[in-house]
Formats: sequence, C-alpha cells, structure tokens
Amino acid sequence: MAIVVTGVGVVSALGVGVERNLASLREGASGISAHPTLLKTGHRLPVGELAMCNEELHELLAISPREHLSRTALLGILAVREALEGVDRSNPKRIGLVSSTSVGGMDLTEHFFERFIEDEGAGRLRDARMHDCAASTDVIAKYCGIEGYRTTLSTACSSAANAIIIGAKLLKHNIVDMVVVGGSDALSAFTLNGFKSLMILDEKPCRPFDETRAGLNLGEGAGYIVLQREEDASNYICHLAGYANRNDAHHQTASSAEGDGAYMAMADAVAMAGIEPNAVDYINAHGTGTPNNDASESAAFVRLFGQSVPPFSSTKGYTGHTLAAAGGIEAVFSVMALKHGYRYANHNFSEPIAAYNLKPVTQFEEGREVKCVLSNSFGFGGNCSSILFTR
Amino acid sequence: MEQLIQELKEHLIEELNLEEITPEDIDAEAPLFGEGLGLDSIDALEIILILEKYYGVKLANSAEAKPVFYSVKTLAEYISANRK
Amino acid sequence: MRCFIERVVTNHDVTTDIKVLIPDAGLRRRMSRVIKSAVTTAIETVGGVEGIASLDGIITATGWGCLADSERFLRNVIVDKEQLLNPTPFIQSTFNTVGGQIALLGHNHCYNVTYVNRSHSFEDALLDAMMRAEDGDSEHMLLGAFDEETPSQRRIMERMGLFRKVACGEGAMFAIVGAKRNERSIAEVSTLAFPAENLSHEKVVAEYATDERTHVIYNNYAKYGLYPTSSAQCFAEAVKLVAEGTPEVVIYNEYFGATPTVIVVRCLS
Repeated sequence: MAIVVTGVGVVSALGVGVERNLASLREGASGISAHPTLLKTGHRLPVGELAMCNEELHELLAISPREHLSRTALLGILAVREALEGVDRSNPKRIGLVSSTSVGGMDLTEHFFERFIEDEGAGRLRDARMHDCAASTDVIAKYCGIEGYRTTLSTACSSAANAIIIGAKLLKHNIVDMVVVGGSDALSAFTLNGFKSLMILDEKPCRPFDETRAGLNLGEGAGYIVLQREEDASNYICHLAGYANRNDAHHQTASSAEGDGAYMAMADAVAMAGIEPNAVDYINAHGTGTPNNDASESAAFVRLFGQSVPPFSSTKGYTGHTLAAAGGIEAVFSVMALKHGYRYANHNFSEPIAAYNLKPVTQFEEGREVKCVLSNSFGFGGNCSSILFTR
Repeated sequence: MEQLIQELKEHLIEELNLEEITPEDIDAEAPLFGEGLGLDSIDALEIILILEKYYGVKLANSAEAKPVFYSVKTLAEYISANRK
Repeated sequence: MRCFIERVVTNHDVTTDIKVLIPDAGLRRRMSRVIKSAVTTAIETVGGVEGIASLDGIITATGWGCLADSERFLRNVIVDKEQLLNPTPFIQSTFNTVGGQIALLGHNHCYNVTYVNRSHSFEDALLDAMMRAEDGDSEHMLLGAFDEETPSQRRIMERMGLFRKVACGEGAMFAIVGAKRNERSIAEVSTLAFPAENLSHEKVVAEYATDERTHVIYNNYAKYGLYPTSSAQCFAEAVKLVAEGTPEVVIYNEYFGATPTVIVVRCLS
C-alpha cells in the first residue's frame, strides 16, 4: 500500500510557516541567535529560538491566553494547522494524530517548580497541568479538529521520525484515513542545562560535519506532515516510500564509532523502498554538530554509500537541534526538497572531517533533479530512525 | 598527597554511586576507565564536576583530560598542581 | 489483528537478584528506582540478559516517564542556579531510557520505541506490537509499561484533587508477545479497542464478552492504584487468569478525563 504526503507545516527559529522557513534557507539566513532572549536562563549560549513569546503565540492562534497552553503545544498547533490547511478534509472519515515531544510542558513546569520546591502548597497548578507529553497532543488535537486515534511518542531526538513510521502503520491497518505526524519541542532551561551538563553545546554557532565542530546549539519548533493512503488522496506532494527504526545499542548518549544504528536504519529504509542506495539524491542528515554524532553518521554514510555518498547536509545550522521536533521539521524540508528540486546548504561549513573527507552541500541549490530524499534522526537511548521520501 | 588521594576516592564513590566499593578497594595507580574501576564517558563528566566543585580546578579541554584522568593518583597530582 | 502472549511478569514477581539481572555495574549504579524496577522486570521476563538478543521488537510505555530523575535535575537547575550540574539525572530522565537500556544490555539493534500517551500508553504500545505481528515485522517482541510515583508528583496530584477516591500507585509490567502461536504461548489478545465514550460494566459485557464465564476487570484502580499505565497490571492479571483456565478476560480501563480502552485476552483452545 502506497502512503503519500499531502500536507506540511513547520515552525522553527527561522519563523512561522513553510514559506518563511524555505525563504530563510534560500537566503542562507540562520535562525541561531547569540543567546536566548525569551528563555529564562543565565547561560549566554547560541540557540535557535522563535522570536515570539507565549502570549504572542496564543494571539496568533486566536486562542485565549487564559487557556495558558505550554509552548510545546502552541508550536505544535501552529505547525499542525498549517499542515492541514491545504488538505482536502471532506473525504477522510477518521483523522488521526501521532505527535511526539521530549520536554512536553516543561516551560510551564519550570515556573511551577521554582515556587513548589520552596513551599509544596505554592506554584500555580495550571503551570503543572501540561507537564506530561500527551498533554500537548491532546491540546493540538483539540485546536486542530482532530478526532480520530491519537498517540504520543518520545524517543528523544528521533521522536518525530518514529511518529511518521507509526502514522504510516495506522494507515496500512485502516485505523485512520488520514494522519498528522511529527513532533514539537520548546526550548527549556531543563534541556539547555541538560545538554550543557553533557558538555555538548557549542559556545559558537554550530558547524555540523566540519572538522572544527564543537557541539550543538539547541533550537525549538514543530514540524508535521499529513499522510494518506495514495488511493484516498486527490493529490499529493510525494510518497513516503521507506522507513526504519533501529537501535545503536552502544551507549546511552553516544553513538558508535562505526555508526551501526544509523547504518542499519538507512539501509533498511532504502531496502523497504526497493531502491539502490545510489538512487538517493539528497540526505537531510541528523548532523547535530557534536564531534561524536557527525563522525558516527559519516561512518554510516561511507558504509552504505561507499565512495559515492549522495549530496547531504544538516539544516541544524539554521534551526538549531530541535530534539523531538527535528525529525518533523526535517521531514518537511525533505518533502519540499523533492517538490521544488532543492538541496539545502550546510551552514558554517568550511573544512571536512579529516577521517572521512565528506563535503556537504554548501550553497542552496534549486532546480535539481531530486527524486529521492533520505532524512535521518538519531537520539539518546541509541534510537536511530531513517525516513525515505520519493516523488 | 595521601590525604588528597583518600579524599578523592571518597568523592568518587559518593558522586559516581559506586556500589559496594570502599576507598581501600581502589588502587590509586590503576586505570579508572575501561579496566580497573570500569568508568565511562558519563563518569568522566562527573569527575570534571568533582574537580571543579571540591577543588576549584577546571579542565581546559578534553585533550588535556585524558592523561589527567588515568588514575586517582594522576587526578590528585593535577589537583595539587592546579588548585588555588 | 491479534497476537500471542508467551509470558507476563510484573515488578512484584521479580525475585532474582538485581546484580544477576543487570550485570553491568556501570548501568546499574546510575539507575533510579523506576528504571531499576522496569529493567529488572523486563530482564526477568526474557529470562536473563541473554534472552534480549532473540527479541525483534522492544516496545515500552510510560505515562509519566522517569519522574524522579526529571525532578532531581530540575531541582538542581533551580537550586544550583544552573551551575555545575550532574548530567546523570538528565540522561536518565529521557522517556526512552528503559527501552534504550534493555537494547544496550542485550546489544540488540532491533525496533525500539516508547509510547507516552497517558492512560493509553500501554494500549498504544500493544497496538504497535499487534500491527508489527500482523505485518510480519516482528515475531518475538518485548512489550512493557512502567510508571513511578514520587512525593512531589503525589502532592501535586493531591492538590489537583485526583486521589480523593483512590490512592496513587506505580508499577512495571513486561510481556513477551509473539506473532504466531507456539508451544510457549499462554494466551491470545483477540481484541484491542478504543471506544469513543465511557461504557458501563453491563455494556462492556454486552459488547466484548463472548463467553458466559468471561471475567471482566473493570477499572481496577482500587487494586493497583491510580497511575497511567496501571492497566498493564490488569493485563498481567488477565493473562495469568487465562493461563489458569478462565476462558476470557475483558479489561476495561477508564482513566479520569480520558476515553476508555478495552483489551480482550482469551485462552488458547
């Protein structure tokens, strides 16, 4: 059964909406700022922060600020509404939602907890009520008119890619007729400090796949795509032709030197689509900018593609690493690469990693023959997922 | 130095949550990582914190860290050379 | 869609020493209470770490995740003013920690995913397992659910007025799910449903029971406590009942504010 993509929606540090994001990618204008301006933190580290506070997001969505939604939910609603905008909703009976997040309503929990740890009777309960991951899913469904089966996944930074996989399964098993899949994550002091404590945040703008890379920059945002069975769709953007979820089983937070999980995920996704690896025209890499991830992913590229690694790039130099949302945002970019013949530039690249000598795409390309795009998302816990889109 | 080594061992056991290990069980000259105590990269991050928290010693970079992190003894030597 | 259950183990059933179940001291010493509870239950279910290698799917579910570690890290961020933070609770706070550690302990590269969908988490994970079984993606999967209660979480939920009728709870449950019936199969999951509205006990019987001796587990929060994946404990109870001769058990689970779920477990004829 063929699964097709019929809608896309995105919000990131580059701005709200697919067109805004693509325009920034075309212009080579990164969304990474020198330090957070909205997030309450003492760290002056570069981040990909959306320049709109929660009150402004409520207003943009025409949702009363009294609803007091978490930032993860607000970003998610923005992206899901856009994804469903151009889609014909008259035909499908059951519209589902597979969402994902790693921090959930942590932005509100942080406010709550500051008071709570001093006095257990203090802290506003409405700041604690959206803490869990499913809270954002429920709210997204509510404000986007989604009434069918819905679920929530959390597999760290591979979350949204797994949401895409589960969405495809739900269509194949006739549990839904249309499904919105992806992920959303807001910046939080929790994650910024978490990655800081792991010493994998770069104090400068991140440089994925560069020899001098020194870590990632955190970002925030949401990315969702709409999936349907091909026979049910009046028109579509592209096919979801392959996907795979494998585990690196090497270390809790680090990737194996040989890129075992990444290699297996990419190889399985390519095999499922029934194509040869050299048919891949562009890879939107996970490419976080950490020394470990990019070396491991490069090793996996060489294992699968040999000497002819397809044109690849990481777009995290523009958006920052948006954790659970990354696989959704990058799925949107991948789908648009197919639609318009784009290949995105890998921001801040100058020198290839000596051990692999792989050079990513460095200038935004358009009008290319892009028929097959692979998108990688890897996370803590060894989770490695790859998604393959074809025309 | 002996006192510093003893103190370091206690911090390691406490902060790394080493089960059923007493300071006497730790050979000050044995490797901390891989063999010996079998510590890993997450422990390395915690040891960096121990150095900073208890001794005000900051490690400049990871290249510098490797020989310093070899054993309890090398850690102690680095601390006494760099502590303020 | 259906699948076959070969074994169920809850945290209460684990008797083997944790050092035997989790031989890797490095992993063990960083584990919080819930991770220890979930991972030991998982390993007991597969009969020791050697049993992990044969799995071709690891599907976990949790409503709250690793709360104690999340709390610990958040507290440190606030109290230590973002300075000199120990990364361990942050690493361990991730929702897929348990699934990841099982894979790591058994060096297993198979499909691995974590559902975090409140009171539907376990049922969604079961649905995934059933879809994989039917598609031939996986034959021999580990399916599990876990949640922990912490003093802060209990206090917050009390303030929300949630424990007026039933007490809070926690637990872990793991099951071996097979795609095909084999000599180890002890029960069959014949139905998994997500009704749009709440059903009375009578309605559950009318709609889902196929045998007059069918046993119904209707919202067993009084027995297992109120927490998102407590239906996984009901599932273990159902499988055990069926293995002992009850022809069919219907589990109806309705968590406050959420739509219900129904699982039907049947004996193998």
